[in-house]
Amino acid sequence: MAGEKRDAERGARLDRIGRELVRASTGDEREAEAVARSPFLYAKIRTGVEAERRRREEGEGWFALFAVAWRAVPALALVAVLALALFLSAGAGEMTTAGLGDEALLGARDGDIEQVVFASAHTPSSDDVLTTIIGGDEKEGAR
Amino acid sequence: MDEMADNPDQAPTAAPEQSDAALADAARDGDERAFEELFVRHRRRVALIASRFFRQRQQIEEVVQESFTKAFLALGEFSNRQDASFAAWLARIAFNACYDELRRQKRRPESTLSDVTEEDAARLRERLHADGMASAGDAESVAVSRDLAAKLLARLSPEDRLVLVMLDAEGMSAAEIAGLLGWSVSKVKVRAHRARASLRRVLGKFL
Repeated sequence: MAGEKRDAERGARLDRIGRELVRASTGDEREAEAVARSPFLYAKIRTGVEAERRRREEGEGWFALFAVAWRAVPALALVAVLALALFLSAGAGEMTTAGLGDEALLGARDGDIEQVVFASAHTPSSDDVLTTIIGGDEKEGAR
Repeated sequence: MDEMADNPDQAPTAAPEQSDAALADAARDGDERAFEELFVRHRRRVALIASRFFRQRQQIEEVVQESFTKAFLALGEFSNRQDASFAAWLARIAFNACYDELRRQKRRPESTLSDVTEEDAARLRERLHADGMASAGDAESVAVSRDLAAKLLARLSPEDRLVLVMLDAEGMSAAEIAGLLGWSVSKVKVRAHRARASLRRVLGKFL
């Protein structure tokens, strides 16, 4: 109880000193008066106003540029989508006509090559012929 | 807030009979002399507001410049609210400029408690045990007290300092502060309570 009272008294005392501290911290009124009567103060303000105006105008210029760019975004996106769709549809059409068989690999116009390839694939080689002849002779000899 | 009204000891440059609102309208429409007249009428009050927070002439001048620059560029906003007093509107801009400067200062602290020398600390303890910061001594003693007080207040957050100066140095009510800063009254009260607690902690270290 006595401790609480002592704390409260201490707090009240510090608050009172704090108020005096705040009042003591303020600047000298004569200093403020001197600033207010400074001969070039208004000229400095005018300069500040002009500088701030220029800064804002430049800011507005950039802002306008961003606004134009922002408005262009949907149009650019649409063009990109259309280009992608065109690219995909052209690619898919080519895949369908070419197919995945031999023609796709060899090409429709390369008829000669195709014949050679197929000929080489189905015609027996000389080794095959020789093996067949030797095999036939051996069978007849065995009889 | 009435003290912010026109200062008769300063000779206006043009149209002395015109009200602040009329001058603000004229300035917004490009009449440079009208804005100069507003500047002459209110420069002292704005400099006094700045001097509540800053002691160096350069800092006070910067706040005055910033306040009038912002006011000039925002004249359209004032003209849309003709019911408001130009002086109160300008004071609001000035307090906000001080707050901005306090925040900038906090980001590059130049005088914090670490700058409190042993001599400062001893003087502070002496003052605290004598139960007060008020200095009734010579000019040098007053300047030393002011310097020490500024060092201690630099330990507070800009919000805390702003509210305490408005309450204790400007003698404003919570409602007036709320009106000027655009805060709610309860926010001002909560902030003031926290600010006092922070200041008690700072001072408690020296007791």
